[in-house]
Amino acid sequence: MLESRAEVRPYWDKPIPEDEADAHELKHFRQEDLLMDANSPAETNDIALNAMKSTGLGFWMAVGFTGLLVALLLGTWGLQIVSGLGVTGLNRSVMWGPYIANLVFFIGIGHAGTFISAALRMMHMDFRRPISRAAETVTLFGLSAAALFPLIHVGRVWKIYYMFPIPDERRLWPNFRSPLLWDATAITAYMLGSTLFMYAALLPDLAMARDHTTGWRHQLYKALALGWRGSLGEWMRLEKLANILGYVIVPVMFSVHTIVSYDFAMAVQPGWHSTIFGPFFIAGALFSGVAAVIMVLIVLRKTMRLGYFLREQHFNSLGIFLMLLSIVWGYFYFNEWIVTWYGNLSAEQAILKMLTGQLAPLFYLMLVVNVVIPLGTLWSRRVRTSLPAMFVICVGVQIGMYLERILIVPGFLSRSELPFNWVNYTPHLPEILITIGTFGLLSFLYIIWTRVVPIIPVWEVHEGQAFQSTRRVGRGLFTSHTDMH
Amino acid sequence: MADTLLLGLFDDVAPAADAIHDLRELGVPENRITVMSNIPYTPKMLGLTPPRQWFLPFIALGALGGAGIAFFITYITPYLYEIHVGGQPLTPFAPSAIMYFEFTALGSMVMAFLSFLLQNRFPVLRKQIYDERITDGYIGVQTQVGDSLLDAAVNVFEANHARILNRESAKAYKSPGMMHLAFWGAVGVLALGAVLTPLLLTYRIVKIPWLDGMNKSPAIGYQEGPRRAEPEGSVPINGPVLIAGQPASERIEASEESVTRGQMLFDINCAMCHGLGAGGDGPLKKYLPEIPALTDTRIQDMSEDEIFLVITLGRNRMPAIGENLTPGETWDVVNYVHSLGATSE
Repeated sequence: MLESRAEVRPYWDKPIPEDEADAHELKHFRQEDLLMDANSPAETNDIALNAMKSTGLGFWMAVGFTGLLVALLLGTWGLQIVSGLGVTGLNRSVMWGPYIANLVFFIGIGHAGTFISAALRMMHMDFRRPISRAAETVTLFGLSAAALFPLIHVGRVWKIYYMFPIPDERRLWPNFRSPLLWDATAITAYMLGSTLFMYAALLPDLAMARDHTTGWRHQLYKALALGWRGSLGEWMRLEKLANILGYVIVPVMFSVHTIVSYDFAMAVQPGWHSTIFGPFFIAGALFSGVAAVIMVLIVLRKTMRLGYFLREQHFNSLGIFLMLLSIVWGYFYFNEWIVTWYGNLSAEQAILKMLTGQLAPLFYLMLVVNVVIPLGTLWSRRVRTSLPAMFVICVGVQIGMYLERILIVPGFLSRSELPFNWVNYTPHLPEILITIGTFGLLSFLYIIWTRVVPIIPVWEVHEGQAFQSTRRVGRGLFTSHTDMH
Repeated sequence: MADTLLLGLFDDVAPAADAIHDLRELGVPENRITVMSNIPYTPKMLGLTPPRQWFLPFIALGALGGAGIAFFITYITPYLYEIHVGGQPLTPFAPSAIMYFEFTALGSMVMAFLSFLLQNRFPVLRKQIYDERITDGYIGVQTQVGDSLLDAAVNVFEANHARILNRESAKAYKSPGMMHLAFWGAVGVLALGAVLTPLLLTYRIVKIPWLDGMNKSPAIGYQEGPRRAEPEGSVPINGPVLIAGQPASERIEASEESVTRGQMLFDINCAMCHGLGAGGDGPLKKYLPEIPALTDTRIQDMSEDEIFLVITLGRNRMPAIGENLTPGETWDVVNYVHSLGATSE
């Protein structure tokens, strides 16, 4: 017979140190740092599950309101289909308007999800743990919303099958030398990859939800969890899969927005035909995407009582990230600007003149909300950890990045080589309503989603908490992370 | 003699690892021990050897498959269905590279995921030994032992303070066997069908009489009957003409402001052909040598209404500018053009 071994308490049940200063310090750590504030997994699971199950008045009001916006989107689109694209402000030579700007904008928003989740995972950034799934969801629905716009923009959407060679009776083949086909390919690859990446990391949480729910939810999670038990082999393969997908999906993410920029840069249109457009678009996409993720997290924290998971430290880290991206975006814009200005080509001068003349309010507003405000405020930790301030800054970034796309698409198009072709574009009502409706669609899908899947990757938080500890250096107590290699 | 399945739940990874160590000491082989947890503990923590993983062959296969699809799109298809555009070669390198990149990436991601499912025997279609408290942080150590080792194994769990110990007969848990094979077989057949069916249609291996619309819809030429009779007194004309004695549209007087506005509009809309001074020497002159100088008496002698009409509708190789100018702006240009004659006289 074996002798009974000494009992070991689980990681979340460590004794409070006897030394008063240490105890005080530890309490401080628990307040500041999610990974130091380990509760029993049962409690933490409950927070995530209760948030998922709560459907109060506010939830239904939000569903109703965003549902109305979706109805507005579909209704306006229906009217546009009936009456034709003539109801939009599109005309020669501005053939691409807000629909294409929206496409770029929503694909751009979809970039932060994978970046925060995959790239920060590869870099072992701990602050991504509670936010990765919320970010991935932004990717999923951002791309879905973006996928609507080619359909809206083609006008006669019932003829869309002309674009596919299946069956090949029309002898119409997509031309792979066209950036539009590269775009469709890249976005499809990105969307499938992101979905697989998200689903793989969702399995342990689906299993958790399966074990703690009853009724239709139990049946749903049981089917979706595929029989996950959390065995050693399953975990190791999941880690491996997440690494593989991460390393593949980050280059794909970069390729997606580069190719979106090729849709413009491959045309010999002044202002578009620029070699810097790829990285410039990526910087802009990450910038608006991270701002979107911050906004979503603020709303989630406020409405779903997720204050335990989403703490000041996360908004602080994301705020620093946003500030860096603001600098990068500003750098690219300046670069693009000064090279164009110095080149002194008459067509491009006309565009610069339009930006600082006729469209000056939009142009300067964009620079203020994209560069001046983020750089002027985000250096302060107090601003970064204040949710209202962060929300306002992020709304500003969204407006600024939307304006950037509007200036690039219908703006630049209205000034071509021949003044003969110059027009002044103003959006018409259907374009405005469809744009507003799409924001509603994105929010609607997101709100429903938060009630169906655990929006916090609980296992990632547990993992971080299990391997976080304290260490004494000299006379001070510090948090210390265990890297498991 | 039926084996017994034991599942003990531990509070922490340390006692779980100790229990595994003790079970190994008893002579339980490693493949009979399964550890379940709510977070990824590593083999090093548990004192186990890392399980074998099979990602690489799948990824290689996926990458090759993806590259194959890209090859089909960028090389085979253009030669089967030639499209010549923009002076580009049929299979240029740079766009091909993009297609290869995207499809290779997509193929390796999909196959990595498929390999993940297959290695884990997902989806699990049978009953498996499990305890729902594992997702609450307990670490489950499961082992299968024969009757001879049963008591000693139970003792191992107890000595390491397992919170709960479930015992079940191994008979209740069958191996996945045929069911799993049937599932993946069905998935494979469906996937293959979903991929192959459109391809058979696309590459015209299977031809179906599909409505192709454009070249089969009835097209009636304008000279074909039946024709309706013309209204009485109508005269066939080719486009709008001036009605004698009536202006083309409401005229704007040739004031100084009108001429100034006209000059600005002329510089934007007309000067690239007719030249900045309307001397017929714009940048496009070398392509269209017949562009006239507007200071010519031939032009200056035309009536203002006629000039209005030419600007609006175009004439010979001159395009219609009506879309770009409002009638008022057109009159400004007319006034400017006429003012040129006045200064040159």
